[in-house]
Amino acid sequence: MSIDVRGSRVWMTALLAAIGIASTLPVTAQEGGGDRRLPPVANPGWVPPRMPDGQINIQGYWNQRNNVTTYSLQDGEGDRAEHVRITGGRAATGRPIVDPSSGRIPYQQWSAAKAKFLFDQHQGAERPENLDPVARGFMEGTPRINLQTGFQILQTPDQVTFLYEYGHHFRVVPIDNRPHLDADILLWMGDSRGRWEGNTLVIDVTNHNDQSWFDQVGSFHSTGLRVTERWTIVGPDRIDYEAIINDPQVFTQPWKIQMNYGRNADPTYEQMESAIWEGNRAVELMVRPSIATGTASTSDGPDASSKAAR
Amino acid sequence: MATHNLIRNAAVIVGALLLSAAVATAQTTPASTQSVPRTADGKPDLSGVWQAINTAAWDLQGHHARKGIPAGLSVVVGGAIPYQPWAAAKKRENFENRLNADPEAKCYLPGVPRITYMPYPFQIVQTPAQLAFLYEYVHATRNVFVGSEHPPGHIDWWMGDSRARWEGDTLVVDVVDFNDATWFDRAGNFHSDELHVIERYTRTGPDHMKYEATIEDPKVFTRPWSISMPLYRRQESEIQLLEYECYAFDEEFHALP
Repeated sequence: MSIDVRGSRVWMTALLAAIGIASTLPVTAQEGGGDRRLPPVANPGWVPPRMPDGQINIQGYWNQRNNVTTYSLQDGEGDRAEHVRITGGRAATGRPIVDPSSGRIPYQQWSAAKAKFLFDQHQGAERPENLDPVARGFMEGTPRINLQTGFQILQTPDQVTFLYEYGHHFRVVPIDNRPHLDADILLWMGDSRGRWEGNTLVIDVTNHNDQSWFDQVGSFHSTGLRVTERWTIVGPDRIDYEAIINDPQVFTQPWKIQMNYGRNADPTYEQMESAIWEGNRAVELMVRPSIATGTASTSDGPDASSKAAR
Repeated sequence: MATHNLIRNAAVIVGALLLSAAVATAQTTPASTQSVPRTADGKPDLSGVWQAINTAAWDLQGHHARKGIPAGLSVVVGGAIPYQPWAAAKKRENFENRLNADPEAKCYLPGVPRITYMPYPFQIVQTPAQLAFLYEYVHATRNVFVGSEHPPGHIDWWMGDSRARWEGDTLVVDVVDFNDATWFDRAGNFHSDELHVIERYTRTGPDHMKYEATIEDPKVFTRPWSISMPLYRRQESEIQLLEYECYAFDEEFHALP
């Protein structure tokens, strides 16, 4: 095996991210393993294994089995049509929003207008800051990272660690009842605090910055975001996931997404390095200053130095 | 007087006995085996949040202060890095151009061992077969697998491929499969894609760890060389890694209304 960092997977990932379809092509399907079938729920009475310290054992490599992509969370025909156009017919069928039943994000009036603006911009952003932050190499945020990529869970006393393959994201989740960080500390991935409720790991995620998006088309939130994740092991090889998303500054009500994860059965599986920022050309390739009405410039920002670097 | 001398001599003798007893204790049971916490499988417990406190991030070698740069002692064992003549010239060129040429200026993944002594904390998550090294700087990660082989190579990775074994109480990590795009510090010390790093992590007490790294690169150096430094456990009771997203600072991200 010979992989050149400038010639293959890393570069491909950066390019695919740059053209906005990273989550739909095989390069991402490799990350986390190939099997896409949903393992069964265990029979009633099944007792999950435990760690030496008593935690339910959910260690292993897992990946999503719902054909959900990070393109758009919403159940909208317009979104679907655009996804099919971009991917040449690979329509994702997964629709993660289960509440409200419309499958739509319950924006307030002002935030719906902003979301529409960002959706329109995703087909031709006039300014770097209107691009999907992930396309630019920035971190995914929570829960978006759970849609993006396979991950490994490691458990140690007082802590659950999520190692995500895409972009070497990680989350350290203390389960020792410590309080959240000071509210002034804002993070791309938020601040996670976990606790076990039966077979469910409940994670309360706060301290989000307002720069991450939920998907590639501009679904957004404020620093008031609070995400409550529930990771329930329902069989030896299956975790059912839901996240309640609450942000009173942006939404009219809390809303909920659901997904399912299956265990990667390949005993030899290891995550590979996924360098996303290095060589990223999103601003150069995706911003369209020719239609700009503002002060857009492709020479602004960190990407200019990366462009000049090689 | 005689009584005085007797008491003084006795005190000297007792003192000497105590000293020799202390020396004997130190020789037979070094502090590193006495006080090192261990995991359930009996290995030294390396888990926790650690950080280097030195100036290697600026320059591995001894250097005087510059504006904004603290002076520092060399962490290179023996003091000098044994560059081949062409590489010594390249290092000087790197130094002259360091403000723009340093890969850190572009926020790239910094490679090994550089990530270890950058001025940010890192966390070790330890399981018997795998240690995850998580770094605050650009959320870099390394998966260090115990008792397995490197994959067929060569692979150009920024952080390399890490495989570990225990030698007594020392975790020895063998790292290969690097690209040639990272430096060792902000002073232009560099390597090629033939870089081979052998790291040694040894707990020396409840809050300290010795870090050693041997660096081999036959394209660049005349012989293997080593660095050595202590790592310190962060003492804050609620310490946790935060984020330093190097490339995400330079612009306003808010979209137009």
